[in-house]
Amino acid sequence: MDDYAIGVLTNVGLISFLALSAYLLLIAGEMSFGQQAFFGVGAYAGGMLTAMYGWPLPLAALAAMALGALAQFLVGLPTLRLRGLYFAMATLAAAEMARILFELFHFQRQLEGEPVGPDGTQGFRGIRWVFEHGVEPLDYLAIVYALLALALGAFLLVERSRLGATLRGVGEDAELAASLGVDVHRVKLGVAAAAGALAALGGVLYAHHNTYIEPRNFDIMLGVHSLAYALIGGLGTALGPLLGVVLDIGALEGSRVFHGYRMIVFGGLVALLLIWRPRGLLDERAVQWLRRRFC
Amino acid sequence: MAKTALLLILSVLPGLALAQAPKADLACKATETDFVFDCIIRLSRGGKPLEGAQVTVGADMPSMPMAHNVKPVKAQAAQAPGEYRAKLDLEMLGVWAVKLRLAGPVRDQLILHYEFDSKGATPAKR
Repeated sequence: MDDYAIGVLTNVGLISFLALSAYLLLIAGEMSFGQQAFFGVGAYAGGMLTAMYGWPLPLAALAAMALGALAQFLVGLPTLRLRGLYFAMATLAAAEMARILFELFHFQRQLEGEPVGPDGTQGFRGIRWVFEHGVEPLDYLAIVYALLALALGAFLLVERSRLGATLRGVGEDAELAASLGVDVHRVKLGVAAAAGALAALGGVLYAHHNTYIEPRNFDIMLGVHSLAYALIGGLGTALGPLLGVVLDIGALEGSRVFHGYRMIVFGGLVALLLIWRPRGLLDERAVQWLRRRFC
Repeated sequence: MAKTALLLILSVLPGLALAQAPKADLACKATETDFVFDCIIRLSRGGKPLEGAQVTVGADMPSMPMAHNVKPVKAQAAQAPGEYRAKLDLEMLGVWAVKLRLAGPVRDQLILHYEFDSKGATPAKR
């Protein structure tokens, strides 16, 4: 496999974490335009722990996930009381606040004569754990997909469980779920924390793949894309967001058929799908049909 | 005496570490093909040209990471010591984070921010 194919596949895997994180909130009935903030929290936290304090990557990833979960839980405490468009706007505002905080964040240590750590708009260079530990691009690709498979496995298990049914119930009709005794706010806070952890895991992996991050990496475009992937791929199964990522990055970008016009094609595709299949290609009906046919 | 020697070593060590880190800069000119640039990469280490490196050049848009994948190309050694030539085929003009992956005498990855316009590239203002 050549470097380009490995790079595209790694990117597909990395952004899938973010798309899954947006999907998790969508099935609980909430549309977040702010998952990129928690992706950023994970990237900064994980990068700082390995590059500045010498933590091993697995431990740094766990700590970053915990921080991502806590951050989204705290954002969710006030914002999850809002509904629909108001929640979407609040998440967007929170994400922009986070990006500006990253721009103001200067925290460096002198290591071997060089400053290492976040330097505001200049970014954070030298996140070199993967590089220094001799992890080759193909090995890193395998790590990314192994973790993605774990996350996907957890999703598929939850979706077949009582918890999954509760989540979809809350997403489809929160008032009806509440009348059946479900603590809707608590369920949504749990979902928000899990979505924050998932986005943060993607962020840690991204930072270590790229060796460099900066506040601009975590702007609104990334959030819009992650949401679009979930909506294109479909809300019927956790495989939906992955299908969305593969269609955009794997097929449109990877093939380079549309070259500089890809974003126009992508925007058109989102608009068409929202009219034709508002819950995406793999919506609940399509998933039922596939289950009846193949399971 | 030992204390002085220790202080001397400690004061020299950071300098030595800095000297080991490769540095790079870029000079690019637009070609007749839209978004394609001819680039010269200058590599140095410890103030001396870094020769014999295997350089792979890629690029990423900082505002849309992961979604724009510029196909990495291998740079060829140019005539001057420490200089390498590569053709970058970008998707659009604007600020790009150019990624230099080095192998050979030094294994590293350097990221340079440049703004590409219809003439060439200049270091991005940040």
